[in-house]
Amino acid sequence: MKDEKLMEAAERLSKEIRPERDLWPEIAATINAPAAKRWSPLFAQAAAVVLLVGASSAVTYMTMKDSMSPTVVASTDMIFEQASFGNRYYLGPGFQDARNTLVADLEIELERLSPETRADIQKNRVLIHDAIAEINLALEKEPENMLLQERLLNTYREELALLRRVSSLTRNVMLRNDI
Amino acid sequence: MAALLTAGISDYSQTMTTATIDTRADERALIKQAQRADARAFEALYRMHIDRVYGICLRMTGNVSEAEDCAQDAFIQAWNKMDRFRGDSAFSTWLHRIAVNSVLSRIRKAKREQDRITAVSDTGVATVTTGDTGELRDLSEAVDRLPEGARNVFVLHAIYGYSHDETGQMLGIATGTSKAQLHRAKRLMAQQLKQQGFEA
Repeated sequence: MKDEKLMEAAERLSKEIRPERDLWPEIAATINAPAAKRWSPLFAQAAAVVLLVGASSAVTYMTMKDSMSPTVVASTDMIFEQASFGNRYYLGPGFQDARNTLVADLEIELERLSPETRADIQKNRVLIHDAIAEINLALEKEPENMLLQERLLNTYREELALLRRVSSLTRNVMLRNDI
Repeated sequence: MAALLTAGISDYSQTMTTATIDTRADERALIKQAQRADARAFEALYRMHIDRVYGICLRMTGNVSEAEDCAQDAFIQAWNKMDRFRGDSAFSTWLHRIAVNSVLSRIRKAKREQDRITAVSDTGVATVTTGDTGELRDLSEAVDRLPEGARNVFVLHAIYGYSHDETGQMLGIATGTSKAQLHRAKRLMAQQLKQQGFEA
């Protein structure tokens, strides 16, 4: 069949085809439904999202309420260790004393280490101090930011861990020397 | 009915009139009423246009059940969007565009194309009743066996008389693609019809 004949025949094909059943009753049932019902999927989704966010916020608040207070933003001069405040983010004089003692001993203990090890330790201390300073600056702008508070605590912990590692290292050196 | 079958596309909305609604002015009045949420006016519009909307859906899907769902969906969408119809194009064109979108989105979402082919091949001609007889019935079946892209273009351009630009817009393809698909459709159909013994 040539193109022209095919196209001519196509034009003669039925354009109007009556459905085997009346489709109107179902259409009418849908469009006559109350407007709110007509949009129910959208509203249901929106309501579900609001409910979910609300519920998760409430659960988070209830969970965090007891575990996070009181929270204190620490300055770079302050010190704390996990053993001193347990599960509570609290910076007290005990932490400061512990840090002061470790820092005081640090200079003496560092002398017992090789220059390369000393340089590594100092480099790490500088990095930690810079981090503490930056987090504190950020906390001044967002004092309630839980993530920043958590990071600050972790950074202090890292500093204390470093100081302890240095003490432990020098004590081991001393022990070996004693032997 | 014979007059309807021989009518051109451009005067479709006039020839589709019923006993009580026989001019485009009536259609415009009904549209305005429907835009004011008058369901009875919308039903009158439905009665005027359902056969052609269903025809497009049936020719594109090749499945009665799918075509019914698409046609219903098209009218429900049209009702919801009535306030957006500004009369820039004919109401029938606007409605057909919605129907085509309904078919396309249904095919895309449900990935029913394979099912459609299966359904048609399983159930044969009895599934689709287009009203065509004799040679036209064979042609109608050949259209139904075309691959989706070629079939959609052939239905809208060759059967329903939309230009390649309009067909491309409706199907979301380029005008050139529409032309290429038509060429492909004609080639495939010529092969099919030749196998069935039709000569040039």
